Amino acid sequence: MLPATAAALAVLAALLAWPVPALLARARWPRRDPLVALVCWQAIGLAGGLSIIGALLVHGLAPWGHSLPEAWWHWVTRHPADAPVRGDHWVAQTLAAVLAVELVGVLLLSWVRTARTRRRHRELLELVVQPASLPMALPATLPDARLLEHPAPVAFCIPGARPLLVLSSGMVAELDDAQLAAVVAHERAHLREHHHLYLLPFVAWEAALPVLPAAGRAHAAVRTLVEMRADDVALGSLPGPAPRRTLAQAIVVAAGGAGGAGVPSGALAVTGSAVGARVVRLLEPPSPLPAWGRVLALLSAGLLLLVPTALLLLPAF
Amino acid sequence: MASLGELERAVMDRLWSADGPLAAAELRDGLADRGLALTTVHTVLSRLEQKGFVVHDDARPRRFRARGTREEHAADLMHEVLGQAGDRQAVLARFVGGVDADEARLLRELLAAAGPDADR
Repeated sequence: MLPATAAALAVLAALLAWPVPALLARARWPRRDPLVALVCWQAIGLAGGLSIIGALLVHGLAPWGHSLPEAWWHWVTRHPADAPVRGDHWVAQTLAAVLAVELVGVLLLSWVRTARTRRRHRELLELVVQPASLPMALPATLPDARLLEHPAPVAFCIPGARPLLVLSSGMVAELDDAQLAAVVAHERAHLREHHHLYLLPFVAWEAALPVLPAAGRAHAAVRTLVEMRADDVALGSLPGPAPRRTLAQAIVVAAGGAGGAGVPSGALAVTGSAVGARVVRLLEPPSPLPAWGRVLALLSAGLLLLVPTALLLLPAF
Repeated sequence: MASLGELERAVMDRLWSADGPLAAAELRDGLADRGLALTTVHTVLSRLEQKGFVVHDDARPRRFRARGTREEHAADLMHEVLGQAGDRQAVLARFVGGVDADEARLLRELLAAAGPDADR
């Protein structure tokens, strides 16, 4: 008895699977306020999953009641259906279950897998690197920083309960003190704001739905936005006359030096334009999003979550 | 009391600087300043074996050696970081990915063109 609700959810799911992510990925405003854009992406991901699974569930359980909670309760308690149950109802139920299990399962799996790899990296670093060998130029408050002997200029952090910030000796050699401080501030921002958690669902969804071009596009957009957000946070804590230029210089040096041997070309094509966008954004900062724009974006994100939730919980219309 | 991690590092340092495989008792003697019990050394060694950093031979008593040099482990890790494809990057947050030579030149030109007053 819920055909209109199921149809509405299906339409919403279709919009969120293709045109909406495509529009947001192409929009210019996200680079003006990466944090708001990140909230929008999370809302799209969540609302998309909710509406596709919801649409299938609502259709599959339609013979059992007038609202999803009611139908669900009747179905669980083996209440006889009010209307004849056809084959497509069973198919929709099965699809909903498969999709829900796959999405949650892949999310858990990638969580476990990344946690395991991170632990291995951390063990390796703790054994291979002496904690005392910190770059002297940096502030003394870096108990979690490690210096790895390697000529390529590389910096990264390993998130988790015990985060580690790693600088290669090549990075320390090629950057001056201010640029090095900019790199550290950028990585610290990732750790402090737990950016790896923003990324996790999109990594998982891309793995779960490789046929959906929007999943890959969303992942790439979120990755770039997270970097831009970390740049913004880093700028706030950098002293010196020209923090934007300092950070841009550090990015250019690190990007140029880390390329070449050892980096598969597939990874290059993806990250390439994102690095350029970061540098351009630092050198020619776009005007910040006006307050009304931020409110509008956040309202849309909230609405995006509210609509499928309401459709699922309210009685059918 | 030293942490296990610190003991593991001390044992690995010994193994890395040793000329050949070492027995647990030799390791304990080498770390005499720490006053370790032999069982502690064995605990640390078995942890390191589980993690794949140490292997032992079948001699009596068993002798232990490092599976790879410090430099090899560092190079392995770096290789993984540098060669990481997009789907693996959830593991760590890298400051910036590598770009090809053309784009690197483009970026440097961008920086030069912006001049020193980008922060007005």
